[in-house]
Amino acid sequence: MANHSTTHPAHLHHHFVDSDQQFDAAKMGMWVFLVNEILFFGGLFCAYIVFRAWYPDLFQEASHELNTLWGAVNTAVLIGSSLTVAMAIRSAQKDQQRGLRINLLITIALACVFMVIKAFEYSHKFELGIFPGEWYTYTGFEHPKASVFFSIYYMMTGVHALHVLVGIGLIFWIYRRSVKGEFSSEYYTPVEITGLYWHLVDLIWIFLFPLLYLIE
Amino acid sequence: MSEHNHEHHISTAGQLWAVGIALLFLTVITVVFGKFVPIPSPFDIVFALSIALIKAFLVAAFFMNLYWDVKFNTMLLIGAATFFILMFSVTLLDTMFRVDVVPGF
Amino acid sequence: MATAEVSSNIKKLQVKRFKPAEDPKNTYLTDEKGLWAWLTTVDHKKIGLMYLGAVAFFFLLGGLLALALRTELWTPAKTFIEADTYNQIFTLHGAIMVFFVLVPSIPAALGNFILPMQVGAKDVAFPRLNLASFYIYVIGAIFTFIALFNNGLDTGWTFYTPYSTTTTTSVIWVTLGVFILGFSSILTGTNFITTIHKLRAPGITWSKLPLNIWALYATSIIQVLATPVLAITVLLLTMERFMGLGIFDPANGGDPVLFQHFFWFYSHPAVYIMIVPGFGIISEVITTFSKKHIFGYWAIALSSLAIAFIGFLVWGHHMFTSGQSAVATTVFSFLTFLVGIPTGIKILNWVATLYKGSIEMKTPMLYVFIFLFLFSIGGFTGIMLGSLSADIHLHDTYYVVAHFHYVMMGGTLMALLAGLHYWWPKMTGKMYSEVWGKISAVLVFIGFNLTFLPQFVMGAQGMPRRYYNYIDQFTPFHQTSTIGSYVLGLGLFITLFYLLHSLWRGKKAGSNPWNSRGLEWQATSPPDFHNFDHTPVVIHGPYDYHKPMEEFQLGLAVSHNGHGEETDVKESKVTTN
Repeated sequence: MANHSTTHPAHLHHHFVDSDQQFDAAKMGMWVFLVNEILFFGGLFCAYIVFRAWYPDLFQEASHELNTLWGAVNTAVLIGSSLTVAMAIRSAQKDQQRGLRINLLITIALACVFMVIKAFEYSHKFELGIFPGEWYTYTGFEHPKASVFFSIYYMMTGVHALHVLVGIGLIFWIYRRSVKGEFSSEYYTPVEITGLYWHLVDLIWIFLFPLLYLIE
Repeated sequence: MSEHNHEHHISTAGQLWAVGIALLFLTVITVVFGKFVPIPSPFDIVFALSIALIKAFLVAAFFMNLYWDVKFNTMLLIGAATFFILMFSVTLLDTMFRVDVVPGF
Repeated sequence: MATAEVSSNIKKLQVKRFKPAEDPKNTYLTDEKGLWAWLTTVDHKKIGLMYLGAVAFFFLLGGLLALALRTELWTPAKTFIEADTYNQIFTLHGAIMVFFVLVPSIPAALGNFILPMQVGAKDVAFPRLNLASFYIYVIGAIFTFIALFNNGLDTGWTFYTPYSTTTTTSVIWVTLGVFILGFSSILTGTNFITTIHKLRAPGITWSKLPLNIWALYATSIIQVLATPVLAITVLLLTMERFMGLGIFDPANGGDPVLFQHFFWFYSHPAVYIMIVPGFGIISEVITTFSKKHIFGYWAIALSSLAIAFIGFLVWGHHMFTSGQSAVATTVFSFLTFLVGIPTGIKILNWVATLYKGSIEMKTPMLYVFIFLFLFSIGGFTGIMLGSLSADIHLHDTYYVVAHFHYVMMGGTLMALLAGLHYWWPKMTGKMYSEVWGKISAVLVFIGFNLTFLPQFVMGAQGMPRRYYNYIDQFTPFHQTSTIGSYVLGLGLFITLFYLLHSLWRGKKAGSNPWNSRGLEWQATSPPDFHNFDHTPVVIHGPYDYHKPMEEFQLGLAVSHNGHGEETDVKESKVTTN
């Protein structure tokens, strides 16, 4: 204990006793933040549930305008990226610098694929005149509340897509730091907690996909 | 003191791949049943959501490491889910039992 | 002798007794000087003081707006401002007082300063996030100010649709401001929960946590669970205004009552974000000035958590007249009564703590008594508003206004003043004038009751809230209320002046002017940059007033101020008992 200060690792902040305390605190802080995220999306899911309970036929009809195939592909893409993030954490834990960098790059690539597909889906709908809210002009099917479904759709997928963009930024930042060799089996806290965030983004999509695309 | 009090769990590559493949497999199942094999009305959504819950469990337990983690983090996740359920179910107490769905319309 | 017994154990443990230095040379205030050092600091104490300054500024602003409202209501119809201006003023008064004063006041200002000291940590778990939360608060405030100078806002602080989607005033600026502000609250809550779990000094078990920490813990849980729902609500409202989303606006197919559900899912628990930390302060102050162990430690600690939980299930009592279904209304009314139970438990335990204590009537204690009196009135009138039939009559009248001012101002603000006076010597190292403290406390008490008691009466007689005009019958009530608000304002101004005066001319405070057993009083006044110049070791509870002070000043004598091993303390526990 007496020579504690001499063995102070560079990544340890002054107000923590040791690396373990710092790691546990960071991880728990991230989980508390994820609780936030769940309730943030919870508001949107709640709006979805209320309106779906009121207008089940609207939801059934309108979901036909969404492309199940691309939705499923995007689900697979996100699951794949979750897998590579988990592999990246594993590489960091085992001090495999090259594996860490490659896995992070694949994750970024998959996240970009997700966003590109999303962009195609959006632009296809815009061509048809399916815009959110007041700007809705599509006449493909008749339901007085048709625009409400798409408002909910755009809000849910839009807020989710924003989270994907933030995730790309975060993983890129982690990648930059890993290139500088900042992570090792001794210290990989940022990789771990960014991974947690990315998994949550995946988790939200796991529910969005059946709720929006798979209504028969 | 610089020794770790508890080792951090390291999953094997095989474990992670198995979870990933299971997730993809479940996705295929839910799409097939959602689009091609008709299930009668209230059960289709139950089925789809059950699959989604299993997938969420896999991600949370093995990708997010909750299975090996301190139990408090699992409690946080369950707590968040509980409050979300409270939120929408209490809201439904109102919206499902109104005389007019939207007053004035 | 107990002292000798403990000191032999201390030797065995190599735990030393640390008497905090009086008149310390190095404090957090002298550590780094200059504006830039303050603006970029990650020290929780400095951030707490910056929050305190910001909250005081907004309280002054919101208070002046309130005085303008009361002045306008001196006569029916126009006294000195137009009706539209009046609407904007009451909206801003509400929005500023709720979002910029009451929500951050105790947790972010006092809590930031005191929480790490009470758990014996050097800082909160994430100091940089803590600083970020302050700047996010400032940015949110700037957005709101933009609205103030750009058309104002006249929706009331609740932003009810469909009016908020159709009014020409700048709703979007304020909703964005509130959205941003929410993140500040979330970061503070996340920080506190993690700090309480992970950064406690050796020996502070859950049963030795000060009740202030329990209260802040419950508050943080509410902040983390409820604030994101507010964020998504104001985001949806912003989008509703921007592109007619149609989720809340009936003109586009939405449901305005759903907005109220969303809004109150945050804003009712937010009431507990405001009041529960106040409960924590009351527990600390009441034991210190009764020189007695708190009565019912676990009852008070767990009732904070119970309030936090039940607080999430009662939001619909704001919506009894909104067109909500009869089923929901009945359930909400029933659940609302349940909140009275944990709150009653707290009040009874505090009163029981006073019993046979040696009560010292210092200014903080005076505010505690004011709190107990005013908050009880606020609580009981809440029960009346929670009962369905009575609420149909009293809804949206001055009765409601009086009720929530008794709870929010009579509760939270009095607790804040108690805590501010109590910890003032610790924060600044200076004593304020006790005489002026008592004079202003009495003025605040008289002014407060003069302002809000008449409002119960005129509310029950049917005077609606937020009205610019009124019938002659209500003139005497309104005029009494206005006079009361001036007295209240005077009392608060005196407080501001003598507190500021004490900074330059105040007597030096010792490290423990109140002879408290709390951990934060075992540091110097003002504290060192690292709070303690040793790692505190806690063997006794924070309310063990039957034990001599010497037994509390224990710490591990290591120069780097690292924390001890868990095992050391377990051993010490066995040997002392």
